[in-house]
Amino acid sequence: MKIKKVKIELSEEIKEEMKKLREEVARLKEQLEDVTDREGRKSRGIFIDIGNAHEYVEDVMESVAEGIHGELHKCILIGPGGVRIAKKERLPLGEGEAEVSFPKAAEVMSALGHEYRLRILKELVSGGKYVNELQEKLSEITSSTLSSHLKVLEEAGLVVQEKVRGRYLITIPGRTAYKMTTRITRFLERGSHE
Amino acid sequence: MIWQNYQLDSSVLKVTEGLTLWQVEKGKVDISKDSLAVPIKLGNRLEGYVFHGQGGLLLDTIIETEEGAIGKPIEKELDESFLMLGNTEKIQQYLEPASKDKIREMKYENEQSFVTEAKDLLDRFLGNGRIHKHQCWSYNRGSIFAFPNKANKFDILIGNGSKIVYKAINTVFVSSDKNVVLKTPDEVILARNKKPFIIRKQFFP
Repeated sequence: MKIKKVKIELSEEIKEEMKKLREEVARLKEQLEDVTDREGRKSRGIFIDIGNAHEYVEDVMESVAEGIHGELHKCILIGPGGVRIAKKERLPLGEGEAEVSFPKAAEVMSALGHEYRLRILKELVSGGKYVNELQEKLSEITSSTLSSHLKVLEEAGLVVQEKVRGRYLITIPGRTAYKMTTRITRFLERGSHE
Repeated sequence: MIWQNYQLDSSVLKVTEGLTLWQVEKGKVDISKDSLAVPIKLGNRLEGYVFHGQGGLLLDTIIETEEGAIGKPIEKELDESFLMLGNTEKIQQYLEPASKDKIREMKYENEQSFVTEAKDLLDRFLGNGRIHKHQCWSYNRGSIFAFPNKANKFDILIGNGSKIVYKAINTVFVSSDKNVVLKTPDEVILARNKKPFIIRKQFFP
């Protein structure tokens, strides 16, 4: 099979355009060489001064990270449950109840079952506190009674004490338990009025 | 000289009164009165000690988050020999030569038997004791503690100002002013400015 050669005649206008383009490319090449020579970085490639751009990039990255965190925070992945990577399917409500340790459940409920202990949890919801700060807030409780209530809450895993500084902090289960208690109470109070 | 050797001094010292070797908001290492110590030197420079006696490590590996605190404090009795490298200035004034009786009270036959045990600990920590000069510990990098653990390795604690790194058999804890990382066998928690990201093996609703 023979291939026919076709000669295309370019118009004068196109030829002129191409000539201009070649000249433009040559001019740009010269400029580029000038810049790289001046900065003494020819061997490392083109030097581009980004000025304060890196700060801008950092700011953008920061806001993106904050955004991602915020979005994740809204969904179930974050929170008391953490990220779920269990291999088994999550059981429908009610089916997993046999796995609950009733002695532990009773211990937690018992820890919540005192007005002073609930008030201690309420104080700790706003942030960690030293014993003397709690004592100030709950002035009607003696220091020994306060200590024994804190011990009960600690044993139930609802609060934790820092060993070096001595502050008491409410734990995630503690905060959840306190929230549930207040909700149930509100619900019951509403029910009794109806 | 590229390679340098940490070496133990032959003198055995005793702690004259209860002493805090390191303390920050989240952690503390104490050693009790009458504990024994052998100086660790790099050339003529004092770099640390191997201690043996009754001591304690407290580390609040607790992460405060907006949703509540996570983690538990670590409380550990230090009744085996352990090593410390770091700032020794304050410690020196609480040490004096240990008498033979004091050494025997700590269940060592003589000075040499404690120095031998301390050397074994140092060699295990540094490999063969020889270390590249760039790897040498310096004061401005804070303090490093190595506590032998039941896996025949070391629990390592590094403290530099408020920054802490702790690595034990089942725990890794890294803490700076704003960022905290805690890894336990069940979960990994990353927190920045009290905002947590939790990865947990067991899910509970």
